[in-house]
Amino acid sequence: MIKKINTIKGINKKGDKLISVYWFAILVIVAVGIVLMVNTFYGENYDVRSQEAEILAQKVADCIYFGGEFNPLIINPQGGFREDFKDNFLKMCNFNFTIEGSLERPPYYLEVGFFSDGDLKKSSFNILAGNKNWKSDCSVGVSQRANLVTCNEKEFFAVTKSDSVYLIKILSIVGKVDENTN
Amino acid sequence: MNRKGEFLVENIVFIVLNILYLVILILFLLKQGSGAIILEDAYSKNIALLIDSAKPTMTIHLNLQDLKAVSDKNGIPFSDVLKINGNYAIIKLSEKGGMKYHFFNYINVTAYPDKDPKYEGFYIMTFSKIK
Repeated sequence: MIKKINTIKGINKKGDKLISVYWFAILVIVAVGIVLMVNTFYGENYDVRSQEAEILAQKVADCIYFGGEFNPLIINPQGGFREDFKDNFLKMCNFNFTIEGSLERPPYYLEVGFFSDGDLKKSSFNILAGNKNWKSDCSVGVSQRANLVTCNEKEFFAVTKSDSVYLIKILSIVGKVDENTN
Repeated sequence: MNRKGEFLVENIVFIVLNILYLVILILFLLKQGSGAIILEDAYSKNIALLIDSAKPTMTIHLNLQDLKAVSDKNGIPFSDVLKINGNYAIIKLSEKGGMKYHFFNYINVTAYPDKDPKYEGFYIMTFSKIK
């Protein structure tokens, strides 16, 4: 009886050693997996461009139409759009797109279209600012979009004091590809 | 008697190695999440977005205690952690490091550490219109 127990213990011991070897093999596999996952997660750049483009569009909307009223600098008393607002758009809406001390083109692009209620196909007034080269990257057919610019489109209706209704379309684009992608 | 002793030592070694494994893994994960480069990148971008959304006359109290812990470890004074230079938000947590991110809001920004001991590790950001 005692001999039998000893034999079983002997077998168990060999089995334990075998299990511990496999156990450590599993631990190594799990550790390698975790390290790879963590490196993939933290290795990715932190991309904030969609939020940035959203804030940019929101700021433009607030600058053009705030509290149910058009910015008085956009529309003249006769109800027409003012060209000087278009020319000084960035300054009037408190934007600074230029990168100081560098010849780089601005990493932003803005396009605002005012469409009259009667003709939603042709814009009555347009404002463009920033780096126009980014716009082509917004087209749907472009592959590897994540490594290109981030585009944001926003549109809303606005009413002038003379009760004219305009559909305002805002396209905001943020470049900054190097800072936000791998 | 010897066998019992052997069995005990083997088990203890096995348990110690397992615990060591878990500790190394947890330390690795903690170090990855609180690395200076990752924090610099994330905070510079988030602060730039904060500045983009800000309006003149605003004051923002910013909790940067995570950054203070890292900057203290690396010997960088807390007053040098956040700088606003031109249109860039710059975060510096190590001697050779530093990350900057451009913001588009044309606004005066001043950022300085909160002197109140109750708010150690906080920054105050004030915004005013550029004249």
